[in-house]
Amino acid sequence: MKFFDIVKISQKNLLRAKLRTVLTVGAVFIGALTLSLTNGLGNGVKAYVNDQLGNVGAEGTLIVRVKQSQQNPVSTDVSEYNPDRQVGTFNISLLDETDLEKIAQIEGVLEVIPDNLPQLDYITAGDKKFEVAAYQNIEGLNLTMTAGDTVNEDVPNGITVPNKYVAPLGYNSAEAMLGTTATLGYKDANGKTKNYEVTIVGIQEQSLLGNSNIVVSQTLAEKIVKDQTDGVASLSGKYVDSTIKYDPNLSKEELDDLKQRFNDAGYGAQTVQDQIGIISTVIDTILIILNVFGLIALLAAGFGIVNTQLMSVNERTSEIGLMKALGASRKQIFLMFSIEAASIGFWGASLGAAVGIVIGTIVSDFASKDFLKDFVGFRLVAFPPLPTLAVILGIMFLAFLAGALPSLKASRLDPIKALRYE
Amino acid sequence: MKTLIEAKNLSKVYPSGGEDTVALKDINVAITQGESVAIIGKSGSGKSTLMHILATLDRPTDGELMFAGRHAHNLTPAQVDHVRNKRFGFVFQQFFLNARNTVLENVTLPLVIAGVPAAERNRKGLAMLENVGLLDKAKKRAGELSGGQKQRLCIARALITKPLVIFADEPTGNLDTENGAIVTELLFKLHKQHNITLVIVTHDPDLAKLCDRSILVKDGRIVEAA
Repeated sequence: MKFFDIVKISQKNLLRAKLRTVLTVGAVFIGALTLSLTNGLGNGVKAYVNDQLGNVGAEGTLIVRVKQSQQNPVSTDVSEYNPDRQVGTFNISLLDETDLEKIAQIEGVLEVIPDNLPQLDYITAGDKKFEVAAYQNIEGLNLTMTAGDTVNEDVPNGITVPNKYVAPLGYNSAEAMLGTTATLGYKDANGKTKNYEVTIVGIQEQSLLGNSNIVVSQTLAEKIVKDQTDGVASLSGKYVDSTIKYDPNLSKEELDDLKQRFNDAGYGAQTVQDQIGIISTVIDTILIILNVFGLIALLAAGFGIVNTQLMSVNERTSEIGLMKALGASRKQIFLMFSIEAASIGFWGASLGAAVGIVIGTIVSDFASKDFLKDFVGFRLVAFPPLPTLAVILGIMFLAFLAGALPSLKASRLDPIKALRYE
Repeated sequence: MKTLIEAKNLSKVYPSGGEDTVALKDINVAITQGESVAIIGKSGSGKSTLMHILATLDRPTDGELMFAGRHAHNLTPAQVDHVRNKRFGFVFQQFFLNARNTVLENVTLPLVIAGVPAAERNRKGLAMLENVGLLDKAKKRAGELSGGQKQRLCIARALITKPLVIFADEPTGNLDTENGAIVTELLFKLHKQHNITLVIVTHDPDLAKLCDRSILVKDGRIVEAA
């Protein structure tokens, strides 16, 4: 028998018991649809997260904090007061100049850039003032820009703003806003409002992971923070965290060693990837749980295939007997029933993937226009072709395995017994 | 004349509980190429079992079966499949047609199994259907045929690989007298035209008389060979 003929006969046989085939394919379909949607969602979210990684963390940087004494939010322990510990809001231990010097001494640290957090009141380019918050620029920060460039330390009064500020500040487009001036307003240590003129050098694309605040140069951030903390002992020269630079070519092991040295010195150091890793782990866990549901559905569908095929073998006993009497080999009979089983998997999986892609695309389009409209480039559900194909092939293999027992039974039928069956 | 199939001291025993059922005992048969042989006997005499063993569909418990000078038990499974497909043709009382498939699809099934390309097998299939007078029914479903037409279709299917032997198990058993006569006539016409060996299991004495000789089986033994 030619392979093509076997495939053709298998498809014909499937159509012989239409309702039964449809129901079995339906069971596979439900499992495949679940897998397809959960994988699509996972791929969409993770692709976006990875894409945005560059937007929040520069390569070769660690964020360093003092190791917190009360990490556990539900801890019932009360720590004794320690006059040496510098604390800020919510009792967070702060970094001071001594800490920064200590950090600079740690092997592998190339540069220490304390994180100045200027408290801005507003931004304005005319009459109206708008609330605003600012980050200090980190060199190498890979922000996605709608127009212009990221902040350059050589232009201390250059800032970049998220694109949501374009219209409120009175501009038609991001390009029109480029190169214009704006005024930042903040209160100094004495509560007096101060203005600072800045130039807009770039407009940032909105992002899921931060990036919704304006970015100012280190020089400007330092200047404003100095204005705001001068003479206030509890705030002056104290930082919640500090960015440090290390050789971006370090291997994973070397980076782990570096983090350990921070740990030994009493500091906690994390890359942005570490922080986002927590998000990824949560996403992964949710997806694994959803995938397990899909796999359970497929397992049930597998038993459905076993059942369907056993019925099919019973119904076609005399037909199998005839084929063997006419010279069909065991291998051919086994192949014929196996292809039938795998075809059930193929149709179920393909339909599941196809419907999954349709649903995913509709949901993505809706989401992009609705609750995710500010997140340019975010496809909630994504279907890379290779994993989708792998899922289809995997389900076909599962269906083949489920059909193996009935196929073997068919191939082993004694032609005489099978012919007497009728 | 060349001996095509030879059975020496064949026996077939079915184990059933403690007591064995003896279906065939000490069977010695030689079938020459081109002859027609009727295997006759009552129901349960063992005549169908004998035909099944001669046709390699069943295995004897003891004894030897030779096909074209070779020991059948020395044939590999692939060789047995080849013999069934190419050398033997089968016609059964219950037809064993696929009722939902077309007449053409049914007649070409042995060629599908043999791996013959579609164009060639359709050409041969149509020629075969013309031989048995069913050419106009080629596109019909086999289930729509009458009993006589079904058996003619089976004969066409048995002949399509140009076999050496046709084994027919009660070929007229499910047919009325008129259709039985048509099928009988067709079988013997082909037997003579193509020098095909004919082995017919029957309890119809008229059909047996048409054969060159008859083998009477009773209680698993050959009691009369003429």
